[in-house]
Amino acid sequence: MDSLSQLLHGFGIALQPLNVGFALGGVAVGTFVGMLPGIGPINAIAILIPVIFAAGMPPESALILLVGVYYGSQYGNSISTILLNVPGTASAVVTAIDGHAMTRDGRGGPALAISAIASFVGGTLSIFGLVLFAPVLATWAIRFGPAEYFALMVFAFSALSSFAGGSLMRALAATAFGLWLATVGLDPNSAIPRYTFGRLQLLDGMDFVVVTIGLFAVSEVFQLLEETDGGRATAAAFGRVAVSGRELARSGWTMIRSSVLGFLVGVLPGAGGTIASFLAYSTEERIAGASGRFGRGDVRGVAAPESANNAAANGAMIPLLTLGVPGSGTTAVLLGALLGLGVTPGPLLLEEQPDLFWGLAASMYVGNAFLLLLNLPMVGVFVRALQVPRWILIPSVAALAFVAVYAVNGSAFDLVLMTLFGVVGYLMRTFDFPLAPVVLGLVLGPLMEKNLRRAMALSGGDWGVLFDSPIALVLWGLAALSLLAPLLLRRVSEELADSAGLAEASGPSDED
Amino acid sequence: MSSRGSGADRAAGAVLALAGVAVGIEATTFDVAFLTDPVGPKALPFLVAITCTVAGVHMLMTPREAVDLPPGDAATRMAAAAGGFLAYAAAMPWIGFFLSTTLVVAGLAYLFRGPWKGGLLAGLTLSTALWLLFVRVLALPLPVGTLWTR
Repeated sequence: MDSLSQLLHGFGIALQPLNVGFALGGVAVGTFVGMLPGIGPINAIAILIPVIFAAGMPPESALILLVGVYYGSQYGNSISTILLNVPGTASAVVTAIDGHAMTRDGRGGPALAISAIASFVGGTLSIFGLVLFAPVLATWAIRFGPAEYFALMVFAFSALSSFAGGSLMRALAATAFGLWLATVGLDPNSAIPRYTFGRLQLLDGMDFVVVTIGLFAVSEVFQLLEETDGGRATAAAFGRVAVSGRELARSGWTMIRSSVLGFLVGVLPGAGGTIASFLAYSTEERIAGASGRFGRGDVRGVAAPESANNAAANGAMIPLLTLGVPGSGTTAVLLGALLGLGVTPGPLLLEEQPDLFWGLAASMYVGNAFLLLLNLPMVGVFVRALQVPRWILIPSVAALAFVAVYAVNGSAFDLVLMTLFGVVGYLMRTFDFPLAPVVLGLVLGPLMEKNLRRAMALSGGDWGVLFDSPIALVLWGLAALSLLAPLLLRRVSEELADSAGLAEASGPSDED
Repeated sequence: MSSRGSGADRAAGAVLALAGVAVGIEATTFDVAFLTDPVGPKALPFLVAITCTVAGVHMLMTPREAVDLPPGDAATRMAAAAGGFLAYAAAMPWIGFFLSTTLVVAGLAYLFRGPWKGGLLAGLTLSTALWLLFVRVLALPLPVGTLWTR
């Protein structure tokens, strides 16, 4: 039970007063950004990164805060989904089906309670999985050489592109755009400038915080300007946030099954919370059979996707931490933050920086407990934040984004770049290009190029080296498979989305 | 939202394909005196160029039926916001963080159909809070404005 003693050591770190504060602060911020329109975890994390760098926080505290925002946002997202039928992310679309049906029946309170409990179950069970499997994967990943890493990154790109939804061609173009942004600046090997347009500011390359905030936050501001009603959202009355023992017992197995499923899907790159929640919902619907009231306000219809997407969010931490290869836009931003803090995630992370990994894992238990405590009695407070008029909310978020972008390099030129990326991001949304692959391409691009060049230098220019080892071959096979898988999965999810009858205009972002 | 035909999608495809070609042409100039590795600095840009060109041509050949373009007044407000952000970037070193941020928040609040007094108040509150947080707490310098310090 080596993991257990390590985890106990981790609790020693997570329970330091400062880190408890960061976990609480992170999950509270996460709940807000998950709930409010137009921010989302990816922007909140990107905005916090310059602040963290400026404050000189130790890496484990920084990670506890940022990851708290990440999984906390999954809880917050379900609040606006259940009460307003406005899923902020694609992964909450399924929750809306039964969650909002319950709200219409005047059972919004029980829906919120079951979602908080299911999120807690999904969150805590998957941390158990993280603690169990991360060390195993790490010992296995030590055998990865540059060729295997290159193949793994190709897998990550192809998986995210194919699961991003919509046209594969457009997703691949978005990935290529991100890779192109990664090449901007001085080439580290040959020291020649690439695509700098003669600008000194671009020699250091594109900063991922500037690109992310431009692509996601600024383009969201443009998109929100399209919606002409400046009014405020009105949440339905939801009553007491509690659930009966009978309903809880009925959804117990649903939560456990969905957590396991969500975790496994989350570990795979690209798939993430969206696929996890769709799969969990359709599985539970089938298991319930005729006894279920799925689609008409069944508690299990809320419990399944909520356990699954929280478990998936935590499962996604495994490839990020043990391989250093994220599978989504948000985890790519987390990787960028880690690299900026001087932490290189990979198989050696657990050995070299045990405090970071075990402290984080323990803090996730602490954070999930906080979330349950926050969400059950305090939903009313959070809901009041939904009533803040848009003309105050959006400009305030924009100002936070601006100051964060300025703080990256202390340069107003970055604000110009940010605006340009905002326009590009808006056009990409308009023409149905997913945004997450751009961020993944930008953050992983330099690593991918480095590993390709290293592999080729070792082989003396023989391309065969990329397909030499069994591990690499498996990864290439997975990459090819991931390009085919969504054809099948999409059929299932389209069926579900149709039955959900959600308005297209609510526009859930492609980020989980 | 107004829907236009497949023309807009075709145009976007053409732009993407041309961008891909441009990236490829620029990459041919990445010559190094002696190669430190067999791959060199051109490989990744070429991969990008090919992917974008193929995707662009694909869009050109098989465009979507309809693209939702913003209606006229929304497009005007978006252009005003983008212009405002650029003006903000240009003005910040000159008139300082405090005044420029107050103005950009007030302007954006106005575009979101808020009352202008409320927007100005929100701008002042935010600028003050952000100034205190960044300059006082985090010791991160924000521009005071060359106009006032001369």
